[in-house]
Amino acid sequence: MIRIQNVSKIYRTEHVETHALSGFSLHVEPGEFLAVMGPSGSGKTTFLNVTGLLDSFDSGTYHLGGEDVSRLSDSEMSRIRNQKIGFIFQSFNLIPDLNVFDNVDVPLRYRGMAASARREAIEEALEIVGLSSRLKHYPSQLSGGQQQRVAVARALVGTPGLILADEPTGNLDSAMANEIMDLLEKINEMNTTVLVVTHDPELAARASRQIYLLDGRLIDMESHEAAAPLYTPAKAAGSPGAQA
Amino acid sequence: MLAYQLKIAFSSLRRNPVLSTLLIGGIALGIAVSTAFVTTYYMMASDPIPAKSDLLFAVQLDSWGADEPFDDERPEEAPTQLTYRDMVSIMESEIPTHQTGMYKGQLTVHPESETDRPFRAMTRLCFADFFTMFDVPFVHGGSWGARADSGPEPVVVISKETNQRLFGGGNSVGETVRIEDRDFTVVGVLAQWRPQIKYYDVNNNEFGESEEIFIPFNFNRPLELYSSGNTWGWKFYPGNEYDDFLASENVFIQMWVQLDSERQRAEYLAFLNAYTESQRELGRFERPTNNKVTPVMQWLDAREVVPDEAKLMLIIAMLFLIVCSVNLIGILLGKFLGRAPEVGVRRALGASKLSIFVQHIVECELIGLLGGVVGIALSGVALKLINGLFSDGVFVFGLDLNMVGAGVILSLVAGLLAGIYPAWRICRVAPATHLKLQ
Repeated sequence: MIRIQNVSKIYRTEHVETHALSGFSLHVEPGEFLAVMGPSGSGKTTFLNVTGLLDSFDSGTYHLGGEDVSRLSDSEMSRIRNQKIGFIFQSFNLIPDLNVFDNVDVPLRYRGMAASARREAIEEALEIVGLSSRLKHYPSQLSGGQQQRVAVARALVGTPGLILADEPTGNLDSAMANEIMDLLEKINEMNTTVLVVTHDPELAARASRQIYLLDGRLIDMESHEAAAPLYTPAKAAGSPGAQA
Repeated sequence: MLAYQLKIAFSSLRRNPVLSTLLIGGIALGIAVSTAFVTTYYMMASDPIPAKSDLLFAVQLDSWGADEPFDDERPEEAPTQLTYRDMVSIMESEIPTHQTGMYKGQLTVHPESETDRPFRAMTRLCFADFFTMFDVPFVHGGSWGARADSGPEPVVVISKETNQRLFGGGNSVGETVRIEDRDFTVVGVLAQWRPQIKYYDVNNNEFGESEEIFIPFNFNRPLELYSSGNTWGWKFYPGNEYDDFLASENVFIQMWVQLDSERQRAEYLAFLNAYTESQRELGRFERPTNNKVTPVMQWLDAREVVPDEAKLMLIIAMLFLIVCSVNLIGILLGKFLGRAPEVGVRRALGASKLSIFVQHIVECELIGLLGGVVGIALSGVALKLINGLFSDGVFVFGLDLNMVGAGVILSLVAGLLAGIYPAWRICRVAPATHLKLQ
């Protein structure tokens, strides 16, 4: 599903170069449920942005679903994001002026689907997340957990092969967090590849594989153990706003 | 997709009514001013007879004296009117498809009803071809015939207003109208006819109304009717009789011909040149040959019918619209950049840069159109004010469909002008930057 080879990403300012990803390589099989962990500043979000074609990278190659997506035009990347990737964000990122139905409708609008097909897909996605009765509600009328479920429905609605979730439970209490993880497991059972960035080892443990990032590199378990002094999951886990 | 973009644009405008009102008001102000001045310019400068303007020619013969040109400032110009005897002579030509000499005078009309008082009517003395050449519309009857021209027969064509005044607006063809000391028979009643510019006689108030009555030219002599328009001369003429005036070098007649081909035009010009050469042998036409036949639009241009001030005002109005649009750039930029997090989400969900750009341009065009609607309505008010400047009330500027269309196009251009940079900026926002920050 995902084949990333030797990818590097450097953020440059006038005086400083930050190596967000350094020779990063990763292979994810279709249908995997992968948890991405690592301390703040380790490159988790950069990894997710690169994987989601939201950000470019400086060197290396990236194949998504067998297609080389290393150097695509903006419209090509947008098409792939729209059709192959679903995003779930820590702060939900629902559009406040749109009701639940219209929020879930957004990715389908950019696909040019007919109204009847869109309605069917939206109702099905909201059925999966258990919000069929909240079609006309606005985000401000929903709890945090409900908003994240709408975001999950929005990620699902286009039936993408890959779901990227950036700390999807970071702004939720533990009960809500578990509900969201339940949903992600349910999605994964539908043979959708799921990548979740999280600071919470308990939630990460629910994934079929965990990877660890440190200083923009993927490290193995042993390295992770060695790096433990640099990373304190207990401190980071559940702290809202904690970022990679 | 456009419907979706429009839905987003309406939603965005509803989100902040005060800001939206400011934006729409800014465009409306620019459109009101620009549309008003575009309309005045358009009505002054537009082709008054588009179907035939290339076929109708004003005739000029340089019969002026040798000592000084007709126009000191433009010595190359021939007189813009003809003498009576030159007009009579060149009317002998059979080259033009149609031709007419003409001038305006004032005659007293005596209504039949004893309760109605006689009134002075603006009169055009012309030949029958006048009505054909200038596509004059009739509601009843029509032009008189060639026999009435040569007779002359006492026939008259009256305007719609005159028909209303004398006959209550009914079909008055065959009725009698007493003009001065004789009876004329009505042969035609005009439909509403008011060329915005009286292009067939720009020597005498080009913005004035068309005449109230029209009679065969050759009644000039029986009625001894002098021109009530401009009469120019360069040579003293002896005698006080009307025939002395007609034999003089005074110019007061407008002469128009219809020439349907280049060949016809060349032949007619050659005819005019031959005529002036023959007159030169009689001691007339002291200046070098300078005869001209000029089509309608060139004639209006040469006569400077559209004043320079109108052109200047048009430029100022366009600049004003640009300033209004440019002022909105900053406001739109702030509004759009404030929406960067939402744009980031849309980009993540599959919107391309182009799609985001178009979405914001659609919003700007919606603002432009709404501003345009308000602006066009305001320009109607502005035109009323401009009309008020013409105290005689004879020149009336008004919006027609073309001008409404121009206003709509201007509003779209203004919206584009105001929105293109902010839309470009917002579409280039990196989506990843804002997804974490919401």
